[in-house]
Amino acid sequence: MPEQLDVGFGALAALILFILASMWIGTIANRAMQKGSFLKGFFLGNRGLGAWALALTATVQSGGTFMGFPSLVYTHGWSVALWIAGYMVVPITGFGILGKRLASLSRRTGAITVPDLLRERFGSPQLGLVASLFILFYMSFMTVAQFKAGAIVMKIAFPGTGALAISEEAATGVDTAYLVGLTVFTLTVVGYTLLGGFLAAVWTDLFQSVMMLIGVVLLLCLTLTAAGGIEQATLAAASHTGPNFVFGPGYDPQESGRQFVPISLAFSFFFVWVFSGLGSPAGMVRIMASDSTTTIRRSIYLLSAYNALIYIPLVIICICGRALIPDLPPGKTDEIIPRLALGMTAHLPLGSFVAGLILAAPFGAVMATVSSYLVVIASGLVRDVYQRFLNPNANEYQLRRLSSIVMIAVGAVAVAASIRPVDYLQAIVVFSGTGAAATFCVPALMTAFWRRATVPGILTSMLVGAGTMLCLYGAGFLGYGDPLVGQVTRFRPYFLLGLDPIVWGLANSLLAGVIVSLFTSPPDAALVSRLFDAQPAATKDAASSSTTDATSSARGPACPVPDEMARP
Amino acid sequence: MQRAKEDPVLVSARREAILVVVAFLAAMTYTVVYCAQRGYQRSLDELKFVFGFPDWIFWGVVLPWSVCIAFSFLFGSVIMRDEDLGSDPESEAPPADASHEGEVPNA
Repeated sequence: MPEQLDVGFGALAALILFILASMWIGTIANRAMQKGSFLKGFFLGNRGLGAWALALTATVQSGGTFMGFPSLVYTHGWSVALWIAGYMVVPITGFGILGKRLASLSRRTGAITVPDLLRERFGSPQLGLVASLFILFYMSFMTVAQFKAGAIVMKIAFPGTGALAISEEAATGVDTAYLVGLTVFTLTVVGYTLLGGFLAAVWTDLFQSVMMLIGVVLLLCLTLTAAGGIEQATLAAASHTGPNFVFGPGYDPQESGRQFVPISLAFSFFFVWVFSGLGSPAGMVRIMASDSTTTIRRSIYLLSAYNALIYIPLVIICICGRALIPDLPPGKTDEIIPRLALGMTAHLPLGSFVAGLILAAPFGAVMATVSSYLVVIASGLVRDVYQRFLNPNANEYQLRRLSSIVMIAVGAVAVAASIRPVDYLQAIVVFSGTGAAATFCVPALMTAFWRRATVPGILTSMLVGAGTMLCLYGAGFLGYGDPLVGQVTRFRPYFLLGLDPIVWGLANSLLAGVIVSLFTSPPDAALVSRLFDAQPAATKDAASSSTTDATSSARGPACPVPDEMARP
Repeated sequence: MQRAKEDPVLVSARREAILVVVAFLAAMTYTVVYCAQRGYQRSLDELKFVFGFPDWIFWGVVLPWSVCIAFSFLFGSVIMRDEDLGSDPESEAPPADASHEGEVPNA
């Protein structure tokens, strides 16, 4: 590895090309979106997602995939493969448990957002509002955290900044390169999302997912060659660290007795990854936007293969990284991927440009995540709050204008929050993901499959799931008991019995939801029947209209159902 | 009173969801139990490599991951049934104000 890692202009050129391609895709999406009504087009892509778009845009990769995760492998070794192993079932659980039913219910009710779906399924505007507020809460945390990561990748690509400072600690230093990176990142991602809405987010996400795969495969080939294979790399890395780098519970650089993956956390993280995917509002919306069950079926195996091609190679790359660059200080381990990208390509023809292509992987992951969250936040405010409660008769011009204002405002707030970047980026991302999962997974399952679920039951389930997460994170943050497991970070939860809070959040949410539903009045039988029973062909249209009518008080006058929209 | 026939999409979705949950529990149990037994409290002298991976990682993570990919393919191509998802009941918003016609391309 060269001692000096010089970022040439090629890396910046590659990233600029990447940005231009993303903007171009945004303009194409803008044209495609105009085929239908504004709301369904802008927030749901007119329910036209195909298999590749659905599978590779499930927003499972974020900034953490290429920053926090590689740092963990570099620091703790092979045990991180067990930590991430839950991803082996994420595609099949993400699409196979709720996918078909969610897609069907959203069509029957005409729902565009997750709160829409809850509101129509139970005939309760209040339920929709509570769900919207929770979504806005979790999504805001996640979005702001991602802006910082995007800015840092841009900063690295600027020649002459000496900015290999992707770590959270180093990034707190604010300089011109960071601010320029933040500005360019924000203008790009807000710009193309404004242009094409949901479709722009999805199509750029698809493009970026392909770039991520190319980047990972390139880096895998380069690092494996340099390290002499996986076995050689493992032995070399273990010689620099110790046997725990190869075995569980993972290497502890501070030798403080902390166990990165004790068995209880290995068990917990299967729940973390699976239910974070299942309960993600952004993921649910994408399923609602799929064009058919054929698309959902194909997405399962496409995403399965894709995840394996991203995560297992990333583990191998970072094990090789420990062998090739053995002594990164603790605060610098987030730099392992860009350091490897620059180091491995330094002697190649057009090496700087190739490094830029590899750096496009984390940049793409962050952009894809942010654009998707922007759409969810805007839809939450515009559709679920403004149109539902403040101005039910809003016309398309007003909705479009407000959507633009919301996205620009979210971008501005995120920039303001990122000028003094938040600490604990990865921990905040995990908190938001698992918090949303504990809040929405059980209610979503009850909504989809349980006739006896009631409004008080669903509300209690959401509140108890979220409350459990907030209590356990609050206790951990305040320093109440550290069992010396998991990551070293101040923003950590209290691991009750060594388990991640999501396990307790899901369990409590399930108990509360079931008990309260059973002890409250059964839901309206006619409403349930419309969504759970087969509808005679002649009454299908009427059933759909009635379902919508049941909750139309805050929605404005019902529109007549055009013939071409009638169910077959 | 006789209960109405269940929506066929619900019937197949529930059957498939149960199968997926069983697969999830099986994968989690195998991986966590195998890795707990073979991946902890060992010394480097006992370490063997399978296709370059430490043996416990290969048998405990890489192999079940491969099986899950194969099962996902089987599930997605054979087990999961295609159903008619239906279509939306109505448009979401009233038409644009006449005063703004022409300003919104997709109105």
